[in-house]
Amino acid sequence: MSSRSVQYTSSPLLASKTPIWRSQFIVAVIAAGFLGLVARAAYVQVIDNAFFKRQGTVRFVRTLDLPANRGRILDRHGNILASSVPVPSIWANPEDIERDPAKLKALAKLLGMNPADLDKKLQDEDKTFVWLKRQVDESVAKDIAALKIKGVYDRKEYKRIYPEGESVAHVVGFTNVENLGQEGVELTFNKALGGKAGSRRVIKDRLGRVVEDIGEMVPPLDGEDLQLSIDSKVQYFAYEKIKESVVTNKAVAGSVVVLDIKTGEVLALVNYPSYSPGKRGSLSGAQLRNRALTDTFEPGSTMKPLVVGLALEKGIVKPETLIQTAPGKLQMGTATITDAHPHGVLSVNEVIQKSSNVGTVKIAMQMQPHDMWEVFTQVGLGQKPQVPFPGAVAGKVRAYKTWRPIEQATMSYGYGLSTSLFQLAQAYTVFAHDGEMVPMSLVKTNQAQVNGARVFSSQNAAAIRNMLHMVTIQGGTAPKAQTMGYSVGGKTGTAHKVEGKGYASKKYRGFFVGIAPIDNPRIVVAVMVDEPTNGAYFGGDVAAPVFSQTVQQTLRMMGVQPDMAVKPQVVTKVEKESF
Amino acid sequence: MSRVSLLLLIAVMVSALYLVRTQYESRSLTTEIDRATSLARNLETENDRLDVERRAQATPLRVEKLAREQLHMRTITPAITQYATVPGGAAASVPASAEVRP
Repeated sequence: MSSRSVQYTSSPLLASKTPIWRSQFIVAVIAAGFLGLVARAAYVQVIDNAFFKRQGTVRFVRTLDLPANRGRILDRHGNILASSVPVPSIWANPEDIERDPAKLKALAKLLGMNPADLDKKLQDEDKTFVWLKRQVDESVAKDIAALKIKGVYDRKEYKRIYPEGESVAHVVGFTNVENLGQEGVELTFNKALGGKAGSRRVIKDRLGRVVEDIGEMVPPLDGEDLQLSIDSKVQYFAYEKIKESVVTNKAVAGSVVVLDIKTGEVLALVNYPSYSPGKRGSLSGAQLRNRALTDTFEPGSTMKPLVVGLALEKGIVKPETLIQTAPGKLQMGTATITDAHPHGVLSVNEVIQKSSNVGTVKIAMQMQPHDMWEVFTQVGLGQKPQVPFPGAVAGKVRAYKTWRPIEQATMSYGYGLSTSLFQLAQAYTVFAHDGEMVPMSLVKTNQAQVNGARVFSSQNAAAIRNMLHMVTIQGGTAPKAQTMGYSVGGKTGTAHKVEGKGYASKKYRGFFVGIAPIDNPRIVVAVMVDEPTNGAYFGGDVAAPVFSQTVQQTLRMMGVQPDMAVKPQVVTKVEKESF
Repeated sequence: MSRVSLLLLIAVMVSALYLVRTQYESRSLTTEIDRATSLARNLETENDRLDVERRAQATPLRVEKLAREQLHMRTITPAITQYATVPGGAAASVPASAEVRP
């Protein structure tokens, strides 16, 4: 047997020579694979880099808004008149809301909505966000959260709160749901109060936590606090008093303006009817109007002191000059000027005290229209008051060149021109501030003394003050303006209301502007009662009592010592006599 | 040569791991800061809210109502006020404690 050795090396299987191309092919494929990766890497990192960066950003980078806090509105003592607080607003995602009728019904009830209205809001299932109700009470939000409805959420929003309510509503105004001022100083100072929102770009992780800041943060600029010159106590008191007067006199409306003439600040600016800025469900224009600044009327007799002041200044009369006012009538062309009662011979002092039209006209007709017009203009009539307030009106004083003599005559007792109550109060600062017209501020000024433009000499201003004081004592038209302890002076006015083209026969406006204390004035108070219908309608009857009470309380709160002797009702302890 | 490379490689690895750790720490610290900032803000707004609430409890309307109805107080007038003048000429009006007849 021959042993046949196996020649493995010569195995045909092994002998078949591997073609070199196969290994080359593998290498080529692997190389191509690597090339592909390189190409892809280049594509991702260089060519279409922006796209991928953007996708990454979309997934992780968020821009957060940093809302600015709206500034607060404070009164002169730093009490809060308006402030923003966070409140929950309820929203839903109609796409994935749980539509359980019983739960939705309970939700509608909590929101104070009709279930049908709620359904309507949730109808569009393509939406992912819909407000159900904005700015609800904290307790309501809690109850809603307790219902545990999937797809209903709350979010914090800022809401304006007005703790003082009605009494300062017209001054402060209000904001809308987007926190933008709509009325009052909220509107005028909207920009300063609003501040500027900031933003920051961050990376958030999958749990929504901020893990990294990218780029620079723009910090939010909080709105500035605004400190008004208003004294909330005086404001409240004046509001209560004018409300009382409007109600008892069955009037349509009323306003009070209190000015501090030493510092040129507005202490109170009140209108009734008012509204509660927090609950503005059914507001009417009548409630919204800041009448003291937006309503004009013919100032009537309150203009007389200005005319007499000018006559004193021009040397035409002296306070003691006698003027014949009998028979209480004066014919001017076809028109007749009459007094309420015939008075006979009156001194200039008495012309003001008794409010004689005839006497005033006789003085006025000795003056040039230009001079009268100049005084009216100097005291701010016919010009928009410099208070930052939306809708403040200028009133009307016609150019003197167009005045006919009869018009000059009627203007001397306050007809044929118009003014707002605020302008009227400001005009009287001329007498109160020793002949200077004081610029007024609604924002706290922090200055102890303010100077104004001189209109009358200090001596003449004092003479007029004396006449104004006579109005409020026995024999004057407004003894009801007297206060306990403080000497006052002022002028009543009663004007027929203008309706259409003429005067309404039985519609009046009674007003009173006055100064106190009369020798060393601190405040000017103007009161207006619109359309009193309960019998009394003279300014001396409907407005003067409000003036009296407001003056008394305001001066007391300001710490002014009474300048008149008061019969004290203070019981002092009597020491027992020793035997 | 190869030992140097190896050392460098280890150094790179350590540094890379350290970087990852630092980044992790930085992120958790950022989260902390963020949480603290929002807490601060919440406390601030809470403070504002309480300020308003406190003021709402002390408005003249409420004070007057309580004074009149619960404490039976009345508005003071100069007739029931004793004014004391501070010696030295400073005109001050300090209401003295005076017994008042009801």
